[in-house]
Formats: sequence, structure tokens, C-alpha cells
Amino acid sequence: MSLEERVIKTIEENLEKKEKVGLNTDLRNDLGLDSFARVIIINALEDEFGITIPDYEFKNINTVAEIVKGLREHFPDLKES
Amino acid sequence: MRRVNFYSGLDIDLSLAHKYDFNPYYCNIESSLSDPIIIDGKEFINLASNNYLGLAADKRVAQAIAQAAEKYGASMCGTPIATGSMVLLQRLEQRLANFIGLQDSIIFPSGYQANCALFLSLAQSEDLIIIDHYAHASLVQGVRLAGCKVKPFLHNNVSHLRKILEKSSEYKRVFVVTESVFSTEGSIAPFDEIVNLCAEFDALPVIDDSHGIGVIGRSGRGILEEKNLDNFDGIYTASLGKALANTGGIISGKKELIDYLKYSCPGFIYSTALPPPVLAGIEAVLDIIDKEFPILSERMWRYKQMISNCLIDSGFELTEGQAPITSILIKDLEDCARVAKMIHTNKILATPFVPPSVPPNENKIRLIAGANLSENTINKALDLFRKIGKEVNLK
Repeated sequence: MSLEERVIKTIEENLEKKEKVGLNTDLRNDLGLDSFARVIIINALEDEFGITIPDYEFKNINTVAEIVKGLREHFPDLKES
Repeated sequence: MRRVNFYSGLDIDLSLAHKYDFNPYYCNIESSLSDPIIIDGKEFINLASNNYLGLAADKRVAQAIAQAAEKYGASMCGTPIATGSMVLLQRLEQRLANFIGLQDSIIFPSGYQANCALFLSLAQSEDLIIIDHYAHASLVQGVRLAGCKVKPFLHNNVSHLRKILEKSSEYKRVFVVTESVFSTEGSIAPFDEIVNLCAEFDALPVIDDSHGIGVIGRSGRGILEEKNLDNFDGIYTASLGKALANTGGIISGKKELIDYLKYSCPGFIYSTALPPPVLAGIEAVLDIIDKEFPILSERMWRYKQMISNCLIDSGFELTEGQAPITSILIKDLEDCARVAKMIHTNKILATPFVPPSVPPNENKIRLIAGANLSENTINKALDLFRKIGKEVNLK
């Protein structure tokens, strides 16, 4: 599974309601995530990839594609599957 | 110039209120929570207050308050650790603990303050607080102030809570925080399952029973009675301003916890104690609950069912609540503003909830029918909802 697919799957599994998530999905405008919902996603990504994401890393991130880009930049050793 | 910028930066978005020429908040109530209630000189049906048992304007309660004011005056002008510690306060703290089924309790000026003060006093930097995603703002503020790691779990989702607990062994202590009744939708937490999970993972459950005390449970004693949780060894908080029809908030639990908070909780120690008339009013409400809960409760639940059935028949979508709360779910924000205005124009007082109080596209209009309302009043409200249902055209 690619990094993109793993991120999307993790987000979909950690939403209050079933939603179809794609790379261009905006966390706030499309999914309506509040600050706690974003924390739930960050914690789930940390568990999924075995990493610790500093709070500030996600502060200005809006889309799923930006999450993937941020993960690649800060955690270059992440495996695709 | 800095001061000018400060004040010009204090923006609030009232565009929706201006568009519909209607602001449902901060209305001008001129009566008690009577049937009807008077707003700007006009009679309204009150379906907005958290006055579940309808005791806020009960004459017996008012009389107890008046007598206490005559005997003890307006205030003891002191914190609970000083001159606020008077006979009514100590008696009520113990009586509330007995009512809930716990060892002891302390009374704060408000439920909000109790929740904020609790975590500041108890949580340390090496701890973890796991909290329901939709927990009340006072709990959220409280856990954020605590300065330890905070992990929200998906609303009422025990599987997600378990996943987080499974990875919590690195923390010194773990608190699991939730509410009994989530008041914007009326759902009840699976708190028995949460307590079992806490036992399995050596975590401490914390429950805010603000909308449960005096409402749920066989005799109105709240969530612990509702879920048959004898020997609860976690932490219990509640507002005294809802079914108990007054003001204040409590923290209740084991005696060691309460004794500790009495000497280490700044939010308690440095706040002026509730005045004697308030304490006497709460005692009077507890007296009435002891004697009359079955009658009041039956009426409260019947009214809820009547309103819910009518709204469904009139084409409204409701949340799936198990508490005596009926919430109309309206996805579109402008539709919500429009329906709220129609309800208000028809002289029914209701409570609209829009983001950030609720998630986007989950706007709600909450209705709570107190047991003080007459059946005639409820039938009048139903006629009005049927009329609104025919006139409204939701997206």
C-alpha cells in the first residue's frame, strides 16, 4: 500500500462519520474537522507509522496531500507498505 | 494605537443574524420559568431551559430560598475554607454525595468551574487524559489547562477508546473523561462499558453528569444509578443548574479525593462559597425529587415522546437521543437559522446550536419540555410544530 493510501485509510478510519477521503480532501472545509478531530487524526497517523508528530507540524496543513508531503519531508524513512 | 487595534480586532460574525433579522441568543426574559414564560412582554412556550423536572419556579423551592435568605442573609462573604463553610453547605455536600451514591462531595460556584478546576489540581505532566471528542467545553478547557498529554476518542466509541488505552502504559496515570448525557443531541454515554475498560487498563473514569443528575436513573440519581454502577471509584462532576434548578457545580467521589481537593484545589479554595439561599433551594429540590420523582419523570418523558413523534410526523429529522431532549437536526446553516426564527415567531423558545458548539453541517435546534408545563401547553406546541412543518421548505 502506498503512503498516500495508508494516510487516506487511516483518516477514513478515524472520522466520526463515514466519508470518502481523497488527496485533495480539505480537513476543515470538506470534512469539517475541529481541533480535537485533527488531534484524533494526528494520533492515529502516529500509531500507524510509529512516529511522533510535533503539534506545530500540522498547524498549517489543510489537505490530505499536504499531510503526505509533510510526512515525506519530516520522516523520509517511512515505508510505503 | 495598540488599544485601538485591540478593540477593532474583537470581531463577532453576526451576518446570519442580520440576514434573517433574528438573533436567538441573549433574549430578554421578564418572568420566572413559568408556563408561559414572558419575553419582551409576550407569552412564550418554554422549550429551551434545562429545567427538566420543572422545579425552577416551584413555590416550595422559592419559599425555602426566601426563608434561608431571611435566616442567613444574602451571602457568607467568604470562601468555603473560611466563613463560607456553614451548616447548609456542609449538609448539602454530604446530601448530594448520598443522593449520587458516593462518599463525599464539594460544591463550586458553577459546573464549568468545577470541571476546569478539577484537572488543574489533579493531572500532572506525566499523565494522559483521554476525552470524548464531543465533551463539554468546560471539560475541554479543563484538560487543556492540565498541561499533560490529551488524546480525544471518537464520540461514544468504546473500540476507539480501547485502542488508545492499549497504548497508554507509558503514562504515569490515565484519566478517561466523558459526559453522561450529551446535551445537544441527547445521547447517553456507554459509561458502564467505559468503567469496565478503565478497570481493565488501570485508568480512572471521570464523568460529567450535568444533564443526568435528577433526570436519568430509576429515582433520578443520575448516570451511576442508570447504569447500575455501585462502588464507582472514579470522579463525578455535575452542574446544579439543570434538573436541580439552581446554580453551582459539584465534584464527588471518594473521601480521600474530596479531602485532597478541599486543601489543594485553587478553583475551590479561592472562590466565594455559594450563598445560603442557593443551598437551601437545592435542598428543597432534593426533597421534592425524593417524594415526587416518579410523577415528574413520567411527565417529562411523555412530553419528550409527544414532541418527538409530532416533529417526525411533520417531516423533521431528529437526532437519536435517549435522554428527555429532542433535537432537530438541520444540515444547512441557513435553514437552521430560518427554522429557528419560525419557531421563535410562533412563540416557542428553543435553543439553536451552530458551529463551533456542534460540528459543521450538524446544526441542531434543541427542545426540552420541563415537567412544569401543562399538557395543554404541549398540545399547543405540537399544533405550532405541525404548522411550521407545513410552511418550512428545507434544502
